Amino acid sequence: MIAGIALIAGIVLGLILRPTVPTWLEPYLPIAVVAALDAVFGGLRARLDGIFDAKVFVVSFISNVLVAALIVFLGDKLGVGSQLSTAVVVVLGIRIFGNAAAIRRHLFRA
Amino acid sequence: MTGPDKPDDRALASARLLIDLVTNTLDPGYAEAAARREAGAPRRRYDRPAVAVGCLLVGFLLVLAYVHTHRGAPEAAKVHDSLVSRVRAAETGGNSLAARVRDLERQLAAAQDAALPKSGAIARDLDLAQLQAGQLAVSGPGITVTLREPAAPTASPDPGRGGTTAIGDTNILTDRDVRSVVNELWHDGAEAISVNDVRLTPTSAIRFAGEAVLVDFQPITSPYRIRALGDADNLSTNFAESSVASRYQTLVGVDGIGFGFTESGNLKLPGSGPVKPRYASVPPTKKRGNR
Repeated sequence: MIAGIALIAGIVLGLILRPTVPTWLEPYLPIAVVAALDAVFGGLRARLDGIFDAKVFVVSFISNVLVAALIVFLGDKLGVGSQLSTAVVVVLGIRIFGNAAAIRRHLFRA
Repeated sequence: MTGPDKPDDRALASARLLIDLVTNTLDPGYAEAAARREAGAPRRRYDRPAVAVGCLLVGFLLVLAYVHTHRGAPEAAKVHDSLVSRVRAAETGGNSLAARVRDLERQLAAAQDAALPKSGAIARDLDLAQLQAGQLAVSGPGITVTLREPAAPTASPDPGRGGTTAIGDTNILTDRDVRSVVNELWHDGAEAISVNDVRLTPTSAIRFAGEAVLVDFQPITSPYRIRALGDADNLSTNFAESSVASRYQTLVGVDGIGFGFTESGNLKLPGSGPVKPRYASVPPTKKRGNR
């Protein structure tokens, strides 16, 4: 409930403020989005499993975003930025799919 | 995973990592936290605000990415459109200036005709000088040399990055090829040459910018038609025997370029605008008459 309200508030805030992303931050945005989606689906599944924990949710979200950004940063510096981005997206994508499947099983029992 | 017949632990390590990745999609932190908490533990004070802040951040991030992506795309399109319109405007500007030049040249010619005697040494001298300078449109016998890129050019190696490839990477024929043919034709006795209807003058330059060959700063593309006026028989014989021609005959077989030359009895070459020397001038001490 409060999570949904906060999510909508965040969306509205973003739409109102329309912040410009600094150029140096641009490469990390897509990866950060994927990491955030991973955290959201993980949290949703944990809630449906009945083991949701606010601290784990927030910490995993922030650390996911930071680690993903760090990996991309290192990759860019070492010349393997796109490859590492792909790796991050693949790993997080698998997790998102797995969690989405678990959520689906919870919701539809199928 | 912990069967009795575990083959080699290390050999299976990577496979296990992948299996783990696919099967354990949930952050193990949740299970651990739940185990630590035990059932029925009271909710901590910061639980709700933490979830709220986390969700706020997520929503903000998603919208940030969305807005950024969709604001970037029209920007790029806008820049592209404005560049295209600027190029178009510059092209029409250039065309109207060229038309004005032709118009003024006609007036100049009319004025010259009116001022100078119709025949005589001065008129002949002037005509000859203008002819040699490439200012007058000329016609006469000559040959046409055609160079053409292969029909299906090799795909550019890195299509993702435009504008960074040199002409030699994507095109087989470059300014150097056009230049060598032109030089060979001068050498074979051509009196006037045009490349794709751009008349060459004593100050003409053939070079390249990006992926286009520039003749006197006018971009031209394949096929390159180089027309040379002169004794058609001599020109074609000399050209056929030249090393330049044999090189391109070889390239026809190797790279599949188009190459050929034909004699023709009456070629028309356009004139170029008058070229004003910017640095060269007649020494002031000498009178122009006594050369």
